[in-house]
Amino acid sequence: MTTDTVIEIRALRKVFRDFWRRPTVVAVDNLNLTVHRGEVFGLLGPNGSGKSTTIKMLLGLLYPTSGEINLLGAAPTDTAVKARIGYLPELSHLHPFLTPRETLGYYASLFGIPSREAKRRTEQLLRMVDLEAAADRPVGMFSKGMARRVGLAQALINRPELLILDEPTSGLDPIGTREVKDLIRLLAKGGVSILTTSHLLADTEDICDRVAILDRGVLQSEGKIADLLRQPDAVRFQIAGLDEAAAAELRRKLESETGRLVKQDYPALSLESYFLQVVSKGRRADVERFELAPFLLEREEPPHA
Amino acid sequence: MRENARKPAPCMARHQTAEQGGCPPGGTHSASYPPGASFGGGAYMRRITAVSALAFRAALRTRTVLALLVLLALVVLALPHVIRGDGTPEGALQIRLVYTLTLSFGILCLVTLWAACSLFSAEIDSARIELTVVKPVTPAQLWYGKWLALVALDALMILLVYGGVYAQLRWTIHRGNWSEAQRPASRFVTHPQLPSVQEEARQVYQQWAAEKKLPPKLSKADVLRELANKAPDRYSIISPGERVSWRFAPRRAVRAGDPVQVRMRLDTEFSTSEAVSGRYLLSCTDEGGHTVETAWRDFTQKAIEFTVDSRQLTAATNAPLRNFELVFEHTGDEKVSSAIMTRFRKDVCLLTPGGSFEANLARSALIELGVLAALAALGLTLSACLSLPVAAFTGTLLLLLFVVSDSINTVTIAEERKNIGNRIGYWVSEYVNRAVAFTSQTDPIGALADGERIGDADLFRTMVGNYLVLPALFCFGGAWILRRRELAENSK
Repeated sequence: MTTDTVIEIRALRKVFRDFWRRPTVVAVDNLNLTVHRGEVFGLLGPNGSGKSTTIKMLLGLLYPTSGEINLLGAAPTDTAVKARIGYLPELSHLHPFLTPRETLGYYASLFGIPSREAKRRTEQLLRMVDLEAAADRPVGMFSKGMARRVGLAQALINRPELLILDEPTSGLDPIGTREVKDLIRLLAKGGVSILTTSHLLADTEDICDRVAILDRGVLQSEGKIADLLRQPDAVRFQIAGLDEAAAAELRRKLESETGRLVKQDYPALSLESYFLQVVSKGRRADVERFELAPFLLEREEPPHA
Repeated sequence: MRENARKPAPCMARHQTAEQGGCPPGGTHSASYPPGASFGGGAYMRRITAVSALAFRAALRTRTVLALLVLLALVVLALPHVIRGDGTPEGALQIRLVYTLTLSFGILCLVTLWAACSLFSAEIDSARIELTVVKPVTPAQLWYGKWLALVALDALMILLVYGGVYAQLRWTIHRGNWSEAQRPASRFVTHPQLPSVQEEARQVYQQWAAEKKLPPKLSKADVLRELANKAPDRYSIISPGERVSWRFAPRRAVRAGDPVQVRMRLDTEFSTSEAVSGRYLLSCTDEGGHTVETAWRDFTQKAIEFTVDSRQLTAATNAPLRNFELVFEHTGDEKVSSAIMTRFRKDVCLLTPGGSFEANLARSALIELGVLAALAALGLTLSACLSLPVAAFTGTLLLLLFVVSDSINTVTIAEERKNIGNRIGYWVSEYVNRAVAFTSQTDPIGALADGERIGDADLFRTMVGNYLVLPALFCFGGAWILRRRELAENSK
């Protein structure tokens, strides 16, 4: 494993067994994966494809039947490695009687972060996930989207080097989804390595550098998104401000020049972009409010009291 | 605070498999320590404190626990007013100390056990534990954090119960204008110097052998073991005209002027006990010691207690008294008076001043808290490996077994153990009894009610056993299970 590698999985296999130790399902089979530092890596696949099982093995919540996992240079059960990871599970699993402020304080304490520093980070993260107004309400009263924001904030409280996000946009509205995607991009720019799973392929396409596709526990495809989606036998031009007659004329010329069929269409906005445009008309400041918590951008850890 | 202080070590870069479980032996890691977390002593305590604070709140939010706490409040506040005593100060003391404290302790045992059984299992069932165990917190820290929360909860409850009982007692004493002798006290208990139980067993064996009364089909070793086990509860018979003497050497010398009390518990055939009479001769056997005679006619009571001023027992003023002899003579008429039955090892004792009642109350509270701490440790370890209902059922069953095992061992005789079913039951209860013997060797509430000072040795044994050794053992077991167990939601 090189210093540039944050996750290395070799020949990973997980077989679930019943009470009598008889194998019931092979959840992951002979999986080989590498995630590099500063990369956003997407793990895709239909339900039951082994994405969550893989993530749980990475986090030491499940033990592999065979194979090797190397996480930041150590085994996933290593306490020191756990201190460098942030994890957002698919369901938030928060203590319902704690407020977001108490929740973040609790997880900061588990990282051994001194209380003054923990308070500073908590306030910044609450601002970042837009929960300042609800910071003293019990999490049990929150909507799924709000609980998701608290979950995201707790995953960042330790300023992680590696962020593992299981369905990070699940339960969020389009604005929240956009914010999370922006956050992932900003964190990646700051050098944080991110492993994410998602059912929403458009979200994955927007944020991931590389993806792996799993199906029935087996790796089907892996590579950079641009490489995987590129159609090398076709070229596409996009020209702004051309009227219909000029476009028809240009198409005729191209067809006669190349002797090949030229396809003409009008690019459309994605539904997400259109929605955001409509919503942001009235509250532009809200959509563009999003920014990273300042402590996540700090290069040096402030001296602890 | 020590930041990033641990040195990185070489890494085997191999994660353990389900079959291997845990971290591979010799597997060291090259991970450098992160900017976001601390590993010093302060950070270590912060983790435990955080887990503890959360567990405290979680335990208080358990509905069963809340219901039992309401019941506890009712017992402390209402029970003394519901149960009517016999109108004597002793009766009032019995109700307030024995009934209220025993019932409260029983409720607290269940509160502790069930709260402990829910702490891990509920978190595992709801998958909340996933977010905790992916943080840099060890299973032992998690276990200790939760245990401390339960001990803190128990300490608070014990404080409230004992505080409530003490306040009621003070009010009753004030209102009833109790005399000094009627007020609850704390006294050292000195039992007579007798041969060891093994020696006594040998003597009885020889006597039975001479009288050809040995039980058939039992080996000598079995008979001796049985006799030794039952020696503390063996009744001796004092017939009319018989005279018995015992020697006492209190661990703390009695100061001149202090009261010396003699207590003898006994059994007689009630219908004829009115005809029983006796004479006690208490002497100080130190140089210059005197004898004080006390005649007693009322043997209808189950316990006889009388006080002698220590100044009457010695000619020397201010000299501490160290050795005593008590002689009892049954002066009843041989024709109409019945014999007295008493257990020398338990029923005959000297009582000498032993500090304040309040200090004894605090000792009792500490001992009870120790038993609760051990129960919390048991419940937590059960909840680390079983689901909530199974853990609660197993814990309650074990608790019942602890309670009855001593009685089963005491009442079962060797011949009854020939049946295979009885033998298994006896074997289980014997080992359970042995395993928990050091957790509950004293009866603190009984001692409080009898005005007996709870010994320092008992307190020390509780502190070491119930607060340190047992929790450490259970923590080791619980942490081992948590380390090997897959804690993710879809592992079920």
